[in-house]
Amino acid sequence: MSDTQVQPVIEVVASKKKKKPVGFYIASTWIGFVVLLGLFGWLIPVRSWDSSDYDALGVGPFSPHHFLGTTQDGYDMLSGLINGARISVFVSLIAVLIGGSIGTFIGVTSAYYRGMYDRVVTTIFNVMLSIPNLVLSLALLSVLAYSDENHPTTTGRRVMVLILSLIIVIIPILGRIGRGSALQWSGREFVLASKSMGTKNFTIIKKHILPNVAPAILAIGFLAIGSVMIVEGSLALLGIGIPGGASWGSMLAAGRGNIAYSPHEVYMPALCIAFTVISCNWFGDYVRNSLDKREAKI
Amino acid sequence: MAGSGKAHMRPEGDRVLVVEDLTVEFKIAKDKVVKAVSGVSFDLIRGETLAVVGESGCGKSTLGKAILQLPKPTSGSVNFLSEELTTMSKHDLRERRPSMQMIFQDPVSSLDPRLPVSEVLAEPLKVWNKGNQVEIDAKIDELLNAVNLDPKVVRDRRSYEFSGGQCQRISIARSLALDPTMIICDEPVSALDVSVQAQILNLLQDMKDRYGLTLIFISHDLAVVKAVSTRVMVMYLGKVCEVAPPDELYLNTKHHYTKALVGSVPIPDPDRAVTKGLIMGEPPSPMNPPSGCRFRTRCPAATELCANEEPQLREVSLGHFVACHHPID
Repeated sequence: MSDTQVQPVIEVVASKKKKKPVGFYIASTWIGFVVLLGLFGWLIPVRSWDSSDYDALGVGPFSPHHFLGTTQDGYDMLSGLINGARISVFVSLIAVLIGGSIGTFIGVTSAYYRGMYDRVVTTIFNVMLSIPNLVLSLALLSVLAYSDENHPTTTGRRVMVLILSLIIVIIPILGRIGRGSALQWSGREFVLASKSMGTKNFTIIKKHILPNVAPAILAIGFLAIGSVMIVEGSLALLGIGIPGGASWGSMLAAGRGNIAYSPHEVYMPALCIAFTVISCNWFGDYVRNSLDKREAKI
Repeated sequence: MAGSGKAHMRPEGDRVLVVEDLTVEFKIAKDKVVKAVSGVSFDLIRGETLAVVGESGCGKSTLGKAILQLPKPTSGSVNFLSEELTTMSKHDLRERRPSMQMIFQDPVSSLDPRLPVSEVLAEPLKVWNKGNQVEIDAKIDELLNAVNLDPKVVRDRRSYEFSGGQCQRISIARSLALDPTMIICDEPVSALDVSVQAQILNLLQDMKDRYGLTLIFISHDLAVVKAVSTRVMVMYLGKVCEVAPPDELYLNTKHHYTKALVGSVPIPDPDRAVTKGLIMGEPPSPMNPPSGCRFRTRCPAATELCANEEPQLREVSLGHFVACHHPID
């Protein structure tokens, strides 16, 4: 044969990387900021978030001792938001991380093995998806963390139950994405080639299916962080989330009666939630675009 | 007149693969069964290249996969190197996999887009623990050199940076990694340009000579088949029609279906009249194949006998077998 030196047709494209969009920088800065607040916010020397300052009830932002003002009951907004970041970030990250891993695992294995297992999984996913997120977690919370005067529930227990119910909400969402994507990849011939050389099923899933499914999962995972945050806020607003203004959602819930006197009580946590959700969506889109290398460029 | 029969088997030869009465059926709904392959028998002698030809949907790819037990055939026997594969345990079957490999039609889809070439080629070696990293690297370089790719250039690139022909070379290199006895090539050049087809065919021939391979070459392209095979098996709707050495098959066609296939090969001559009316229409549905000879619905020579009785393969001249009640003289 004459063609002893075959050169790849497409030169490496890494040299002319596209410029990242401005939205990406804003989104990642905000996410980084919120995560840092959540992790190290308690180190910031601000007032205690759950003690009242009776000399400044409901003062507006930029007042001398309270940079972002206080609530009508005299709780400092800045300390509240910093503390709220911890719960909001902790709850949504843990829920999406655990729920996403379980969902992806179930979805990918069911797409790979097919058969009865796949049919059962799909049916369960469909049933779970047909119940609105909020209603599902509402039901779980009110059953698992029921509390009244006679049966008080600790905040810790409520947080755990909240995370659990959010995990259950996340599993079918990411599970379906994982299943759909894995279905497409397991039909590829490189999977068959891998089988024909004697690679074990689990190794094929780990080495060939999961890395190819990852972009879809990551993109939807970031979106899910956003929606989980909204669900958490909505639950708090309905009064069954984490009580006592401990998260952004529950600050919103606690302050909504005072919107006429001190609107910053409502719009500040609301803005925090909105910014974080939008940033997560943006970031997710960017991650998907950058990971989604099309192989058929020939 | 596609039929069954085992007259073309050669029990006296050094047989690598013996397939008998292989049947593959897919259940697509309640009491709806697609009979993709029905009672196909053939054998493969060491060092030979058996070409399996037929139009789309005649079960040739399914046959190739069924030999590898991906998925297992519905019934019949596949005897590879004197060991029965269909009844073998999962573990034992896995142990035999390295000696039978497959090359696929779509060169791009055959390679994981996330893995660089070095990883693609290392996979079979790692699965079977063939040496440490240094030995694996050396083997990868040897394989890439064997398929005429420069290891230094291609090692770290991924499949989407290559052309179809280059991807197919990498697939061939991967199938050679475990020193197989037999390679099933499932339309390896159908997706490639004609100029690249020749390169890949030459490469397969070189590899066959160099590594002492036995090949099953699945194709619908008779020109390609003529160039590579030592024996051709024509299939129609899951059955064998005719088995013969390629030159004999082209010069002395016995089966009406083969004649139609040979006649439909385009000849690059603009003055030549287009041959029309060789066979009409689509093949019947494999869910409900015709009685007797499966080709009778489209056959110009069909009689009542063809509807009632399935023709068996019989020898018409030395090494030339046909399953037809009314073969062409």
